Amino acid sequence: MKVENVYPKVREIIADVLVIDEEEISQDSRLIADLGAESIDFLDLVFQLEKEFGIKIPRGQLEKNARGDLAEDEFEKGGVLTVKGMQALKNYLSEVPESHFKANLKVNEIPMLFTVETFCKLIVNAVNEKNACETVG
Amino acid sequence: MRFLFVDRILQLEPGERVRGLKHVTLDDPYLYPDEQGRLVFAPSLIGESLGQLAAWNVMFANDFSQRPVAGVVASACLHRPVYAGDTLLLESFIDCLDDSAVQYHSVATVGQDVVFTVDGALGPLLPMSQFIADDDIRRQFAEINRPGDWVAASQKSLNDTIPQWDETRVQVPMNFDRVLDCEPGVSLVAEKRITRSAPWFPDHFPFNPVLPMTVLLECKLNLARLFLARSSFPLAYDVKELRKMKMNVFVHPGDVVLTHLSVHKQDEQELILRYRSEVDGKRVCVLDVVLTAKGR
Repeated sequence: MKVENVYPKVREIIADVLVIDEEEISQDSRLIADLGAESIDFLDLVFQLEKEFGIKIPRGQLEKNARGDLAEDEFEKGGVLTVKGMQALKNYLSEVPESHFKANLKVNEIPMLFTVETFCKLIVNAVNEKNACETVG
Repeated sequence: MRFLFVDRILQLEPGERVRGLKHVTLDDPYLYPDEQGRLVFAPSLIGESLGQLAAWNVMFANDFSQRPVAGVVASACLHRPVYAGDTLLLESFIDCLDDSAVQYHSVATVGQDVVFTVDGALGPLLPMSQFIADDDIRRQFAEINRPGDWVAASQKSLNDTIPQWDETRVQVPMNFDRVLDCEPGVSLVAEKRITRSAPWFPDHFPFNPVLPMTVLLECKLNLARLFLARSSFPLAYDVKELRKMKMNVFVHPGDVVLTHLSVHKQDEQELILRYRSEVDGKRVCVLDVVLTAKGR
């Protein structure tokens, strides 16, 4: 499964969750800055995506994925991303333009970077993992 | 006047499920006459009762360090009215709980009748210290946490006679203040000004008075009735379901809530009304109300 396979449905769900027209949404739209999402919308969105795709997305999964193999204190210090942490985040959020990553980014500001494509990638990974587990099982 | 609806918690398994009850009696200020003058408990407050029950479970599970607040509800169905004299048996099931949010579903029954169900409820958890003193929340819990026999409670919940409305009753109005615009059968815009003197604020919440989502929902149900009365639909409709509810941000005393209602769908089977509420142009609450044609 690829991003382009899930994008139409993810776009439809985001429009529904944010009560906006699908036409306002593109793959590179930022959920907060461009589409006006609030924190409760993220909860709602994850819930709807889980239902639609039959997957489980633990809360904070995007941040955990971004951290990768880094220990927590390698990723951030005092709530601010370290140099290593910032690089790990940029690697993970490869769809986000470089200009959106500001210096001294705080951990709680990471969701500001999330785009529609970020969620598509999250779905693709979760679905592929689920399928792999089922194949192994 | 209190805005606390669980009279007694009968069974509690932290993070799993909780059972409790609420007696709906003539002492209750949230009773309204139906078309036959029978006293009916405000339906949205059945949802509030179930939400408060789930919240007690969550708060007990986290040792009262955080409390859930209203967020998202995928669906709440009204199966039948609840009358003065009924005892509501309340059950909430925690589907998922972590340190940021709770997901649950709930059911309310009277005797063997399912009267109200809630599905897909999601509530963010916020620090308790923002809302109420630690001693106060623990005392409130201790007052109602009296484990007991659920089966025995179920058998005593039916009502023999339904009291009728009389003019002397004190009633808490849950309405919009004024209609700003109305195109019958199409749309309506109404305004509600939020005053600190409303009776829910002392309990909701002592340190942070915010409008309960369920009060806004009840206002919207009453607005639907007003809209139907002004419209000339060929069929009569009854409220069946509240769907896709979401409270984005808190509404505080002093705010002015502007609500846009529009017909999303209308046919011989059902009518769906779509609501969007804003404060200062910012979305605060959305909701669909599903009504079905009477007799169907």
